[in-house]
Amino acid sequence: MSADPYNATVRELFANPRHGGDLANAVVAEVAQQGVRLRLAASEAGGRIESLRFLAHGCPHVIAACEQFCRTFEGGPTAAIDGFRAADIMCDLSVPVEKTGRILVLEDAVRLLGREISAAAAT
Amino acid sequence: MPEDMIYLDYAASTPVDAEVAALMHECHTESFANPSSNHAAGLRSQALIATAEEQLASLLNAGPRTLIWTSGATESDNLAILGAARYRANRGKHVVTMRTEHKAVTDAFSQLEQEGFDVTWLMPDDKGRLDPASFADALRADTQLASIMYVNNETGVVQDIEALGAICREHDVLMHVDAAQAVGKLPIDLQVLPVDLLSLTGHKFYGPKGIGALYIADRPGCHVEPLFFGGGQQRRLRPGTLPADLIAGLGLAADIAAARMHDDHAVLTDLRDTLWHGIRDVDGIMINGDWETGFPGILNVSVAGIDGESLLLALEPLCVATGSACNSQIQEPSYVLRALGRSDDLAQSSIRFSVGRPTTLAEVEFAAQRYVDAVSRLRALAPMAAA
Repeated sequence: MSADPYNATVRELFANPRHGGDLANAVVAEVAQQGVRLRLAASEAGGRIESLRFLAHGCPHVIAACEQFCRTFEGGPTAAIDGFRAADIMCDLSVPVEKTGRILVLEDAVRLLGREISAAAAT
Repeated sequence: MPEDMIYLDYAASTPVDAEVAALMHECHTESFANPSSNHAAGLRSQALIATAEEQLASLLNAGPRTLIWTSGATESDNLAILGAARYRANRGKHVVTMRTEHKAVTDAFSQLEQEGFDVTWLMPDDKGRLDPASFADALRADTQLASIMYVNNETGVVQDIEALGAICREHDVLMHVDAAQAVGKLPIDLQVLPVDLLSLTGHKFYGPKGIGALYIADRPGCHVEPLFFGGGQQRRLRPGTLPADLIAGLGLAADIAAARMHDDHAVLTDLRDTLWHGIRDVDGIMINGDWETGFPGILNVSVAGIDGESLLLALEPLCVATGSACNSQIQEPSYVLRALGRSDDLAQSSIRFSVGRPTTLAEVEFAAQRYVDAVSRLRALAPMAAA
């Protein structure tokens, strides 16, 4: 028999997605792959991420991963998001191997967000 | 059922009726002998089986020596489809079924394709119904078997088995019906219904799991080749030691179903109607199936823009079924709903509520509000909702 497909961390993040939503006047990254649609929004000032928000259409692991990403990187140095690795979140959330591709969509979105932030800073 | 769960998945399985459980417990301790043994204890087990056969035959109005005990509907379907097609293969190798059948049927037909049979896969209309005229058109001179389910397990759609069976009789085609979701819930009279083979399982109508039956009509040309060998029980069609406890349980469940069927149907209808009344105002919601003629124990609904697996989790503590296979890399939407013309998005967001005897009005009212709240919450999180 299979156990609960969601560990306690996934359940907590899914039940309390306090970073779910959008930001006005923010840098935005949108990615849609493998049935997953993500929108990350960040406001940045002085080399730090002031606020992070996400919108997601995907399975509970995807939503939990987005919330985990926002909780981890909000308030931190902007450059830190370049160090985001989907593999780290997958371990914390016990993501089944067949869902690897979906969590990698988040990694793509974070990479894109980092580039958009750099581009916005350059202008 | 634990108090922190609200079970609304009675199409998947039902609890064993308390009277049935008590009888089976008695069998486990008092009437456990092998029914093939010719001593007093064995005869006692034989008597239990005989009683159960009478009870099930009475529920279906089936003739004597027409029921074969199996492990459940999957085995019954396989025995009926593979057994009948192989038995009649020298007459022709064309067989007919629908895309919306249970996997136990579609996979058996796929096996026949592997064996060189020509399978016609019929499509339903957008409500899941099979048009009898389309069915008749699909039959050929070499058609030997057709298999159409009575009540669809995902949508509750009820097919016109009487009309379809009559067409089969006109063309000398064997008619198999997977009635796993119908037996014990809808009146079935096999003296009237033109059906040759009918599959059922105990755990869909408050009997035990692991026991089912196949009805094989006593008429010329209606026969199946066995799938198993050894022992010679059940006229060599399905050998193996008979589980008297399970069979007795199924028999009593059939007896209880016969007595309660009319009242159960009325209660299920009220519950389904209450549930729909509570969720029908959700923007974009649609029923998958046929509200007018469908089985009232099942309500299958979809909304656009919602991930089915997330919806399922957001609906907790409800225990319901979703139309997507959540464990695959790319979510596979329900093939049944795709056959009804639903988009991948709608099919994978589908939720099947199925109510049963223990379901209360308070439970379906709670379920309806939970569904409204969950959809609202997930839509607020979705990119499209913000656009």
